[in-house]
Amino acid sequence: MTMTAPPATDGAQDAPLMRAARIVKQFPGLRALDNVDLDVRSGEIVALVGHNGSGKSTLVKILAGIYKADEGEVSFAGDGGETTQLHIIHQDLGLVGELSTVENLRIAHGRGAGALSPTRRKEEIAHANRVIGRFGEGFDVTQPVASLAPAQRSIVAIGRALDGWSHARNVLILDEPTEALHATETEVLFDAVRRVAAEGAGVIFISHRLDEVLALADRAVVLRDGQKVADVPTAGLGHGDLVEYVTGASASTSLGRPTDRPLGDVVLDVRGLSGAGMSQVDLTLRAGEVVGVAGVLGSGRDLLPALVFGGVPSSAERYVLEGRPYQRRSPAESVRRGMAFVAGDRARLGGVTAMNARENMTLPELKSITGPVGTIRPKLEKALAKRLVERYDIRPARPEQAFSQFSGGNQQKIVFAKWLRNDPRVLVLEEPTQGVDIGAKQAIYDEIDAAAARGVAVLVCSSDAKELVRLCDRVVVMRSGTVAAELRGDELTEAALVLHGHGLVPASEEGEERSS
Amino acid sequence: MSSETSAGWTKALSFRNISAIYIFIIIFVIFSTVTPRTFLQEGVWRTLLDAQAVTVIAAIAVMIPLVTGSFNLAIGAEVGFAGILIAVLQVKLGVPFAVAIPLTLLMGAIIGLVSGLIITKGRIDSFIATLGLSSILLAGLAWMSSNKQVIGLQDGFRSIATTTFLGITVPTYLMLLVAFVAWYVLERTPVGRRMYAAGYNPAGARLAGVQVSRLKVGALVAGGVIAAMAGILLTSRLNTGEPTVGPGLLLPALTAVFLGSTQFKGGRFNVWGTVIAVYVLATGIKGLQLIGAPPYISDLFNGVALLAAVGLSQWEKTSARTAAIRRSLPLRRRPRPEAAETPTRAESPTR
Repeated sequence: MTMTAPPATDGAQDAPLMRAARIVKQFPGLRALDNVDLDVRSGEIVALVGHNGSGKSTLVKILAGIYKADEGEVSFAGDGGETTQLHIIHQDLGLVGELSTVENLRIAHGRGAGALSPTRRKEEIAHANRVIGRFGEGFDVTQPVASLAPAQRSIVAIGRALDGWSHARNVLILDEPTEALHATETEVLFDAVRRVAAEGAGVIFISHRLDEVLALADRAVVLRDGQKVADVPTAGLGHGDLVEYVTGASASTSLGRPTDRPLGDVVLDVRGLSGAGMSQVDLTLRAGEVVGVAGVLGSGRDLLPALVFGGVPSSAERYVLEGRPYQRRSPAESVRRGMAFVAGDRARLGGVTAMNARENMTLPELKSITGPVGTIRPKLEKALAKRLVERYDIRPARPEQAFSQFSGGNQQKIVFAKWLRNDPRVLVLEEPTQGVDIGAKQAIYDEIDAAAARGVAVLVCSSDAKELVRLCDRVVVMRSGTVAAELRGDELTEAALVLHGHGLVPASEEGEERSS
Repeated sequence: MSSETSAGWTKALSFRNISAIYIFIIIFVIFSTVTPRTFLQEGVWRTLLDAQAVTVIAAIAVMIPLVTGSFNLAIGAEVGFAGILIAVLQVKLGVPFAVAIPLTLLMGAIIGLVSGLIITKGRIDSFIATLGLSSILLAGLAWMSSNKQVIGLQDGFRSIATTTFLGITVPTYLMLLVAFVAWYVLERTPVGRRMYAAGYNPAGARLAGVQVSRLKVGALVAGGVIAAMAGILLTSRLNTGEPTVGPGLLLPALTAVFLGSTQFKGGRFNVWGTVIAVYVLATGIKGLQLIGAPPYISDLFNGVALLAAVGLSQWEKTSARTAAIRRSLPLRRRPRPEAAETPTRAESPTR
């Protein structure tokens, strides 16, 4: 079998590869999808955009056959013997981290009697190299995929999807593929996606990042509250227009950068912090200051928060928290001393998913709701949980609902509620708005601003340059495990963050004399 | 969207919540009809209540570490070891039982501490660690007892298990006391809350300031003390240090903990679910024995019940996971819906 599709007639080219027509899905008490149409043609990249809870994931589940639509139907093109197949690549990619690219590509192969036939290693490696090579620069296909860069892992997943296709005219759905990627890596992934489309596939691309949608997609389909509110070509479409479609409100009011805040005393003073591949990091946080951490993947950006918080063993020449030296760091002691840590890996570290929202929110500090005989006082706890749910606008406002059953944005609000209720002195944030819809994002930004206004020192690590510019008074840029530059005031722009992150600025021009 | 499906779940749960009670009623009705003269005797029930008190205590000793995420497969050996130790201390070393009891409880704590340190500091999976420890304890037990019954216990010690208040034996009261304290700590105190969090999500709980390792070790120490208590009561009841009975408690105890987790709390390990599960299982076995089933019926019954209980407790997780598994597999969509399940077929890599 060959990959090249037979030359299609113009008529067939125009017919969609996949068409979902008038899809209705009703859940108890909620119309998740209301007469939604979605089609994708060969060679086209369609972005599916919407808040958490807008119906995106329900639609994808219906396309995948996991849910059954109440009304409407999903049909696939089928000319001759060639029927269109659907392949979904989810955010977690479905790769086995310990296995190599070669092995991951072959997981689904060799069913039936073939499952016991010996594998031919050389041939497989050559094949894997061909699959990967189609997407640009190759890499070592015998390495465990866990050791690859995130963009490379995405390419393995896409390669595997395509490897199973007998022809190119199929549909590929990418669900939030860029969440773990840095800007340059995103570009690598986008190149791969464009190639897939150019070969004749139809691509549906789901993302929260509207600029990516505009950069990659030919057409954007916007869902809001289960209804399709827009189906527009992205050419000539502005960021603001898209925000308006998604939120139903004008974008001009959002994302305002706070004016200069008054800074207080130094709360955290760290000199020569080393550990987990980082060396000699200096960091100072003042009360009411929001300090960002930027850097490309592998720069140490994502390790610094855990290092500062004490989640990862580290050594420091000097580590002073609120005027007191603090050398033997551990999460428990850090929490006791007034630090709070919102981990980036929300699914794994954000909360105890089997427990409910109330139990998650009260976990770090139970003393204030504990009675004289050592019991948690249920009434006090429930009242507190109710207040927090209202205060942080957690939806649905049900403190007894399991953490795992909240949407991503609301899970993050629960995580914020659980930390901010204790009035921390230092708030350490890792990717605070990852996988969060625009509405929740704005709410989280407001909370961070409010915390800083109350005099909390905030350290925020993010792969989103725009976010750092929006939030921070000052940003440290990490490179090769140490601080390479520090930007503040007018120097603090998205472009500057990207340039410094990649070391594209002459060392002499860098704010700090710390060229590696 | 998840909130809407949860409404359906709650409905399903409310039935499952009290399934053990339904099972108990079914068992009761069946045996009351089949063999009313023996099954409905007061003495049968009195014995059952007393005899299973030790099993309940052993089950709670398994459950407490399990809440924090540690399996204790050494529970049977721990109970047996304590049962022989208390007998050997009295008979061979002549220690008065009032001293021997605290010594045995201390030994239980030490065993729990050792297993806790092996698991947390040695980073050995609790399954393997306690399996290994179990074997070591059985060896120690055989060495102390020379694999023979230890007889000649002190009179005061023997009377512990036989003394009754209001027609109920001391072991039963002690069982209720242990259950109440365990319930109180787990359900009502911050320590209990943190223990559940540590068990469900160790990494996440750690970042929330929970000292996971310390809680794990503490839970195993508490479990060790409670297991030693079960051993002491067992020896007092049997009136002899019996080297073979302890290990037999592992299966009924584990079964009860898992069956108990499906009760009341929708999948959480919990004390009262465990207590009820022990008695439901014991009633079923008793009834079968009364209608003349052979002795091995209890092994058969416990084995089947363990698998059913764990299956039941995994049900909820599995249904959520099914979606995740389906996602990771390449989906093929064809006009014929039955073909949608066909996995990706092998194809020649040449192109």
